[in-house]
Amino acid sequence: MASKEQMTSLERVAAALTFGQPDRVPAAPLVCGATHRIAGLTYGEWSQCTDIEAMVRGHVDALDLIGHDGVVMLVDLSIEAHAFGCEIKFPESNTAHPNYDDPFIKSHKDYKKIQKINPRKTQRMKGVIELTAGLSKEIGKTHAIVGFVYGSIGVLSMLRGPEAFFMDLMEHPDEVMEAVQVVDEVLVEYAKAQLEAGAHSICYDHLYASQSILSKELWEKFEGPSVKKVTDVVHKAGALVSFHNCGNGIYFDMTEKWGKPHAVSHAYVADDVDSWEEHKAKWGKKIGTIGWIPPGPVAMLGTPEEIEEECKAEIDIFAPGAGFVLATGCEFGPNAPLRNAKRIVEAAKKYGVYK
Amino acid sequence: MATKEKEQELIRRLQDAVIHYKVAEAKKIAEETVASGADAYTVTMEGLAGGMEVVSEKFDSHEYFVPETLLCAKALYAALDVLKPHIKVQAGGTRGQVVLGVMQGDVHDLGKNIIKAIFEASGWTVHDLGRDVPLQKFVEEQLKTDSDIVMLSAMMTTSMVGIKKLIPMIKEKNPKVKIMIGGAPITEKTVEEYGADTTADNAPNALKEAMKMLDTLRRGKAA
Repeated sequence: MASKEQMTSLERVAAALTFGQPDRVPAAPLVCGATHRIAGLTYGEWSQCTDIEAMVRGHVDALDLIGHDGVVMLVDLSIEAHAFGCEIKFPESNTAHPNYDDPFIKSHKDYKKIQKINPRKTQRMKGVIELTAGLSKEIGKTHAIVGFVYGSIGVLSMLRGPEAFFMDLMEHPDEVMEAVQVVDEVLVEYAKAQLEAGAHSICYDHLYASQSILSKELWEKFEGPSVKKVTDVVHKAGALVSFHNCGNGIYFDMTEKWGKPHAVSHAYVADDVDSWEEHKAKWGKKIGTIGWIPPGPVAMLGTPEEIEEECKAEIDIFAPGAGFVLATGCEFGPNAPLRNAKRIVEAAKKYGVYK
Repeated sequence: MATKEKEQELIRRLQDAVIHYKVAEAKKIAEETVASGADAYTVTMEGLAGGMEVVSEKFDSHEYFVPETLLCAKALYAALDVLKPHIKVQAGGTRGQVVLGVMQGDVHDLGKNIIKAIFEASGWTVHDLGRDVPLQKFVEEQLKTDSDIVMLSAMMTTSMVGIKKLIPMIKEKNPKVKIMIGGAPITEKTVEEYGADTTADNAPNALKEAMKMLDTLRRGKAA
C-alpha cells in the first residue's frame, strides 16, 4: 500500500540526488521519445523539434498518465551533430540518425570544417532549449527537468561515422583534438542555455567512457577536459550534474575526476566492481545512481510481475541511504508499452517509501 | 615454393602485424607471401586468423578496445585483399557460412563490422548485408547462399522488434538454420521470447557460439 506523498517530485529528486531524505525513491523511467505517441506526432515529426507546443504537451500529459518524477530533454543523439551541419534522416517510426552514407566529415582532413555555431539559434538545439523553457513554465516548480548534452566525442562520431572516428582517435589525434575544442565551446553554451531555460540539471552523455568502447586513457585524453568545461558551468549555476552512460563497465573514477557528478544514469556497473551490491558499496554513497531497469527485456518485454520484481530488487539494493532514482538503464523504448512506465512508478511507490 | 621455415616466418610476421595494427606492414608481408610461393591459405589461417585470435583475447581481457580492434581489422583486410585471390582451398569448406546484417531501421553497424572481420579471419564465409536491412532480404540471402547461420544485430528497441517478425520468416523457409541475435537491448530473455538460438555480447563470444552451432548442425547432418 503506497503511503501519502509528502514531497513534490522536484523536491524528491533533489533530495535523492543530494543524499538527503526523500519521502520515497523517485521514479523517472526516461520517457523521452515515447512521448511522441502522447503528443500526437509521428516519431519522425517529434524528432524534428518543430512543433514545440505539441512536444511540451506530450511530456506534460505523459507525466499526468504515468506519474514519474522527472523529464529528460533527450530527443536523440544527433541533435548537436545536426546543428554542426550533419545531414539527418528522420524515419517515421525509428530514431533519427545521421546519413552515414554521406558523412559530414569524410576524411580526417575535414575536421577543420567544424565551425562554432550558436546553439540558441541553430536548428534542433534551439528546439530543445525552447522545449526546456516550455516545460519549465508548465512543470518547473513541481518536477525535475534534466537538460541533455551529448558529449564532444560522441558528437564528432556522429559527424564522421563511429567506425572511422574511432580509428581517427589513434591515427589522426591532432585533427580530432582541434575539433573537440570547437565542439566544447558550443556544448558549454548549450548547457548554459538549457539552464537559463529552466533545466534543474544537465545530463552529459559520455557514452564512450566505458569498457564497451574506449580505453580509460584514450577516453580521458579526448573527453576528460570537455566534461570539465561543461560541468563547471553546471556546478557554477548551482544545478545538479548528471551523466548518462549505457555502456558496460563505466569509468566512474574518470567521471568523478572530471565531472564531480551528483548522479549517473547507467545500465551496468562501474568497471572496478563486479556486482550491483559492490557498486552500491563503492560508489553509491558519493555518486547517485539513476537506473538500471533493462529497457528491452524488462521495460519493454517484461510481464507486470517481472517489472515489479526487477524494480523491487533494485530498490532493495540501492534505496538505503538515498542517492537513487528508479529508472530504465537507457531511454524507455519509444515503442514500448507506456503502461510499463507506470508500473515502474507504481513499484517505486509500493517498495521505495522511506520510513 | 617457399620453404617451411620461410612460411613460418611469414606467418609469425603477419600475426605480429595484425596484433600491432601495422596496416602497411601487413600488406607488404602478404605480397611477400604471394611472391615467395608460400601457401596463401595456410598463411591466411595461421597468420591472419592466428593474429585475430590474439586480438580477440586482448579485447576480451580489456587490453584492447574498439579503436584498437578496428585497426587490427584494417591490417587484416589489407593482407587478406592480397592473399584471397591466391587461396586455393575454399575457406567455406572447412568452416561455415553466415548471413550477417543490421535490422531494418537501424544504422549501428560497428559491432557487426567487428564480427565480420573476426569471422572472416577465422575462415568463415560472411555474406554481409550491411545496415538498415529489409527483413525479406535476410530470408532471400539465406536461401540463396544456404548459409548455416543468420546473425541479426539491433541496437534499439525500435529495430529489435523486427527480429520477432523475421525469425519465423527465416525458419519457415529453412527450419534447420541457426539464428544468433545481438546488440544492446538483446538478452537471453529476448532469445527465448523471439525464438532465436543464441546471443553473444561481443565478437569473440559470437565466434565461439557460432562454432558450437556449426558443430551441432554438422553432427546432425552426419547422424
